Amino acid sequence: MSCDDNHEARANDRARRSLPMVGAENVAGAETGLTSRPLWRSIEERSLLGAVPGAANEFPGGASEMDGVSRRGFMQLLGVSTAIATVGAACRKPNEKIIPFVRRPEEITPGNALHFATAYALEGYTSGLLVESHEGRPTKIEGNPAHPETIGATTVTEQALILGLYDDDRAKQLRRGGDAIGWQTFLADVKARGGKLTEKGGSGLRFLTGPTTSPLLADLRRRILERFPQAKFVSYAAVAGDGAVEGSKMAFGRPLVPRHHLAPAAVILSLDSDFMADGPEQTRLSREFSARREPSRDMNRLYVIEPALTITGGMADHRLRLRGSDVGALLGSLCAMLSGRGLSALGPVGSLGHGQGSWDPKWLVALCGDLERNRGRSLVIAGRRQPPVVHALAAALNVALGNLGSTVEYGVPITTDATSGAAALGALAEDIAAGSVDTLVVTGENPVYAAPVDYKLAQLLKRVPNVIYHGLYEDETAAICNYFVPAAHVLESWGDGRATDGIVSISQPLIAPLWGGRTEAEVLAAFVGDGDLGTHELLRRYWRGMAKLPGNPVGSFDNVWERWLADGIVPDTGAGAEAGVAINGQALAQAAAPLLARTGSGMEIAFATDPKVFDGRFANNAWLQELAHPITKLTWDNALLISDATAKGLDLETGDIVEVTYRDRTLEAPAMIVPGHVDDAITLPLGYGRTATGHVGRGVGFNANALRTSEAPWFDRGAALSKTGKRFKFAITQDHWTMSPDGRDSPPPAVSAPLAEVLNPGSMFHEELEERRGPQAVIHQPVDYSGQAYKWGMSVDLNKCTGCNACVVACQSENNIASVGKDGVGRGREMQWIRIDRYFSGPVDEPEMINQPLGCVHCETAPCEYVCPVNATVHSDEGLNEMIYNRCIGTRYCSNNCPYKVRRFNFLDYTGDISAARELGMNPEVTVRSRGVMEKCTYCVQRIERARIATRIEGRTIADGELQTACQQGCPTQAIVFGSLNDPNSKVSQLHADTRRYDLLHELGTRPRTAYLARVRNPNPELAKVD
Amino acid sequence: MAAPNLSHDPLEPLPLIEGTHTDQTINDSLLTHVLRGAGKGWWMLFGCALSMLGLLVIAISWTLYKGIGAWGNNIPVGWAFGIINFVWWIGIGHAGTLISAILLLFQQKWRTSINRFAEAMTLFAVICALLFPLLHTGRPWFAAYWLMPYPSVQRIWPQFKSPLTWDVFAVSTYFTISLLFWFLGLVPDLAALRETTKSKTKRFIYGLFAMGWRGSGRHWAEYKWAYLLLAGLSTPLVLSVHTIVSFDFATSVIPGWHTTIFPPYFVAGAVFSGFAMVMTWMIPARHFLGLKHVVTMKHLENMNKIMLVTGMMVGYGYVMEHFIAWYSGNPYEMGQFFLTRWHGPMRWIFRTMVFCNIVVPQMFWSKRLRTSIPVMWVAAILINIGMWCERFNIVVTSLHRDFLPSSWKDYSPTWVDLSLFIGTIGLFSTLFLLFLKFVPAVAVTEVKELRHELAEHDAVAGETHA
Repeated sequence: MSCDDNHEARANDRARRSLPMVGAENVAGAETGLTSRPLWRSIEERSLLGAVPGAANEFPGGASEMDGVSRRGFMQLLGVSTAIATVGAACRKPNEKIIPFVRRPEEITPGNALHFATAYALEGYTSGLLVESHEGRPTKIEGNPAHPETIGATTVTEQALILGLYDDDRAKQLRRGGDAIGWQTFLADVKARGGKLTEKGGSGLRFLTGPTTSPLLADLRRRILERFPQAKFVSYAAVAGDGAVEGSKMAFGRPLVPRHHLAPAAVILSLDSDFMADGPEQTRLSREFSARREPSRDMNRLYVIEPALTITGGMADHRLRLRGSDVGALLGSLCAMLSGRGLSALGPVGSLGHGQGSWDPKWLVALCGDLERNRGRSLVIAGRRQPPVVHALAAALNVALGNLGSTVEYGVPITTDATSGAAALGALAEDIAAGSVDTLVVTGENPVYAAPVDYKLAQLLKRVPNVIYHGLYEDETAAICNYFVPAAHVLESWGDGRATDGIVSISQPLIAPLWGGRTEAEVLAAFVGDGDLGTHELLRRYWRGMAKLPGNPVGSFDNVWERWLADGIVPDTGAGAEAGVAINGQALAQAAAPLLARTGSGMEIAFATDPKVFDGRFANNAWLQELAHPITKLTWDNALLISDATAKGLDLETGDIVEVTYRDRTLEAPAMIVPGHVDDAITLPLGYGRTATGHVGRGVGFNANALRTSEAPWFDRGAALSKTGKRFKFAITQDHWTMSPDGRDSPPPAVSAPLAEVLNPGSMFHEELEERRGPQAVIHQPVDYSGQAYKWGMSVDLNKCTGCNACVVACQSENNIASVGKDGVGRGREMQWIRIDRYFSGPVDEPEMINQPLGCVHCETAPCEYVCPVNATVHSDEGLNEMIYNRCIGTRYCSNNCPYKVRRFNFLDYTGDISAARELGMNPEVTVRSRGVMEKCTYCVQRIERARIATRIEGRTIADGELQTACQQGCPTQAIVFGSLNDPNSKVSQLHADTRRYDLLHELGTRPRTAYLARVRNPNPELAKVD
Repeated sequence: MAAPNLSHDPLEPLPLIEGTHTDQTINDSLLTHVLRGAGKGWWMLFGCALSMLGLLVIAISWTLYKGIGAWGNNIPVGWAFGIINFVWWIGIGHAGTLISAILLLFQQKWRTSINRFAEAMTLFAVICALLFPLLHTGRPWFAAYWLMPYPSVQRIWPQFKSPLTWDVFAVSTYFTISLLFWFLGLVPDLAALRETTKSKTKRFIYGLFAMGWRGSGRHWAEYKWAYLLLAGLSTPLVLSVHTIVSFDFATSVIPGWHTTIFPPYFVAGAVFSGFAMVMTWMIPARHFLGLKHVVTMKHLENMNKIMLVTGMMVGYGYVMEHFIAWYSGNPYEMGQFFLTRWHGPMRWIFRTMVFCNIVVPQMFWSKRLRTSIPVMWVAAILINIGMWCERFNIVVTSLHRDFLPSSWKDYSPTWVDLSLFIGTIGLFSTLFLLFLKFVPAVAVTEVKELRHELAEHDAVAGETHA
């Protein structure tokens, strides 16, 4: 894609006009421009077209508060009042003309979506995406099935990238100070500055980047360092988990990173590792974990040790709540115990034993037994928050237990910098303080917000004469820099990167940069004089120049390149495991002993990545902000998490604002009591309290970084809490935590049972489930669907659902579901069609968590249908409960009568003021609903019809598995299965016949088409509680 | 006036018309308030009512402009103030029909002096009620006619299985019949006003609405038949309207709604609340309009007795709901009635309801209390409050805790909800004050007729004694 100024001017022009585009505007890789004349729908809109640049964006869509009345709004209100007085005034919608393609691009059939493979890196490591594109507009993200880490599924944040792409709040203007400049001017400035810098070998030049695995960026770095030998690169990530690399230095004597495999693992011990929802391996590990959850003797068993309940902790068979700083001591004891029981391979590490902690020794004994019995089939996995010593001991345990090469392998780091923690940034801060930095190029994620508070980066950066910042938003860092380069979104960019196993993927743009953003590669290339080549050319030059072309059968680069792009991966680029890694037991034991002995006192303060906005980079994404937190079900905020007992001791309730004092710094934060949190500790989720970003994320929650120092990036002792007396109102989607909050004796909605009961066909479990499925005595004859070609049905396996929320965002993206804001959620008006019901059972300290995804269950005898006075919700021949939006008058009777409460109502006009850019991202196959109509899950009827059309043309029926609903496709664990129940061999038919199958609210006789499969717990018999 | 007439023989029933009257004195006393100019008090009340009406206009405009989101409704509480107010107002409308039609058919003479009053209240209450079914929908501009079975080019009919469709027929029929019934009864009085008034304009207007009534024998014969027929038509409506309104709930699956006792229990509740509302307005009206000689203590006492009876029917309904919930063994029903209603977050509304609707009417067992004006007025107001709470319990309390605890959500109204409620009271008051100003509050013709009948009865009785 050419990036000349002419193109840039057009892109800017288009952005300024912010118009709804008609037809294919931008085909990936092709340079196109606005060919149709601008459309306008009202005089007001038209007058904006001719207005001065920027005027149209002066008041971005949705910037006004929902309840406020604007001048125009007031006039409209006046109009409504007048209209009441003069009923009968004829209203006609204005005429609109659309202009079809004159010359149709070759590969596009209007109305048919195309899919393109690309790649996205969150922490440097890429995951493979498959992006659906309608007439040149990307609308939906799926996982690339060919990619080793994504295996066809997605994480929550990957699903939400679409909304980030069309975010009208993204930075749009390249600027020098406050002056808008063009790219060529910028390049000229860089050239001039570069010339001066070369005189001193580039000694004043620094680059602050995020962690990356991109070969192209590594090559650019090499070239920059050739030109400026004295320049330095610093990699920093706020949530970097350097423990693994540093730990491997302790254990193996050299930097290595572990890569885990759960398929062979029968026993998994997680040490504060949320491996199913955090880190670059999460999608694959979730899949591998759930694949071994089938109830059998071979079912895996998960032990989790963690301070605050996480998604992984919720899936645990045994969970031990422990302060993060006590994990090392427990691990020392575990090593000692295993060594004492004959695991001699531990060597000197086995003598580390570190006394008794707050844990139940029985728990540890049982765990030891399990690990011993499963040598070579177990896994100890340490989390990103844990210090190197824990990672080192975990590595030693894995080696001693014979897991090396089976459940875990170690390879050399494939990130350009092995570590990206606070240490290197500290060195940079010292350089700046010493005045030796002249030019600082920041391409990392918003360091001013994310850096440790003790570095005082905001003040320091002001001392650097030239700061060039490359970012997606005008954020906290952008406010300080001299040059600001708006970044291109990943879906607008060319790029490359590697997955955890080293496999390279090439990212390709799905659309030309909406607002003229530039890639990191272009910014870096500017320093070696290639700034105007464009990323595409840089990338091709680099890969062409690679001496050995991996997997190139014909030798033509163009052919190979095309195949890389089409497949989404570059074959044979895997890094492979290092051979001959060995534990240096003596050195490790010596190094570890003093570290384990180090204890603190006082309340523990712990920081955590957020399962929604991660480190804050997704703060302006309304889908993620409005997502219910998997554990707390909190939206639009973060909360200081605290255990019930500790809160009682401090006389705190959920919603009390407390002042946290830690190392002479204070922070006010609203507290939330969360089951399963360790006592005498608090958890502060990162990523909130943004002061400069778009209008969605600004001022949401509190900024935990205000207490986060370079010495204790994850946890420390010594926090103090005091109640301020102020209260805070959270917006929570699920107020009730148990399945029977008032003690009523109703059947549990989400069923779980221990493995022994599930395997015993005569157990109570099977007796109870038998009553919750199958035909019932009914007055009227149920409709017979056996004559239909399809009888759509779904099954949800509670045993596989981790509650990660990927299905929720996938559905939101597929079905154009609106966001309602904090006030809307607070009032109980969230719109997501599928929700994850999360229930706790057992004591508040040691809860058992179970997740139950629930969308419309498409009852065969649906209570919603007969109460609608206008026939707006009816049944299809194939058993879909259909919603006819344009017939709906919004009585909401259907929702009242829905026992599952899965219907969603457009209480306000949620879609009327979305930005023109956002309109581009809407799925054209799904109606955008207006105010006053009901909506709900349709089983992705548009996908059914799409498959029907395709298969009819081919003269066959839809095969099982050919058609996936959005939630099903996004699910990393394949907990959701959809298909035809008329096909006895379909997967969904087989699951409907499973012995674990039951129907939710079966006793009502609604005959739901979505069936649930009970969760199975696999407790260690030594620890099995007598219930 | 608070004390019963002690000089009266306790074995004889209280008189229906106090004092000695001729047709002329009745005419004069009952038409004066229409003919004389509006007093200061009337203007003050009318000002209050109008400002409340203004609030209604603002609230309706805001609702139409913003959408239903301006209200406090949510999922699961899809219905709240809108439907509560609808059922409440419809219930209030029941007293008029009952008094006009059923008591007429049963030849209860005491209905005569209050029927006009009660019929007007029916009409105005139904107008207030009718606002809500339309306003509470998401798209009222379609709801306004899509519920009607008209020959649409889309060839879509309303869904006749839905109780909301039945509602449309039930309530619109009820409104039409009530309007005709009220107007028919008004015709001879309008003629009387036409004759009595001195203003030319008024004579013209009253004349127009009197539809050429001359009081001929033929007129009277036709009139009597028409009145009787309409009474016959109205009688089943008293039962049907609230029965069908109760189907809005009873046909659903929601615990607290799915109840077979709803039809009779709703009808009893409607009559209960209707009489309470008539009492609330009648007591001040008879005082300020000088109607004490026709609306006597006997009338008030009879109405109190009806409230006692219907109150106990409603109480029986409450007990039965609980009994069936327990007897069915259905955990959701038991949860709703034994836990949520009594101990849930909305428990105070439920407890207020029990106090107002079951405890308060028990006072009327005592003759002293049921003939005490202040006591009965306060009781009537409490019953109005209690009946509103009953509808709140049925609509909101049932919805906010149904089957799956994950979807339970609390409810709180917004200023728009409150304004709409207060606003409809304003609308009702405005219409009522206009009615008092321009139309005789008591059916003059019928009172005259009654006087004649009573006089004949007395004469006959006198002769027999002699």
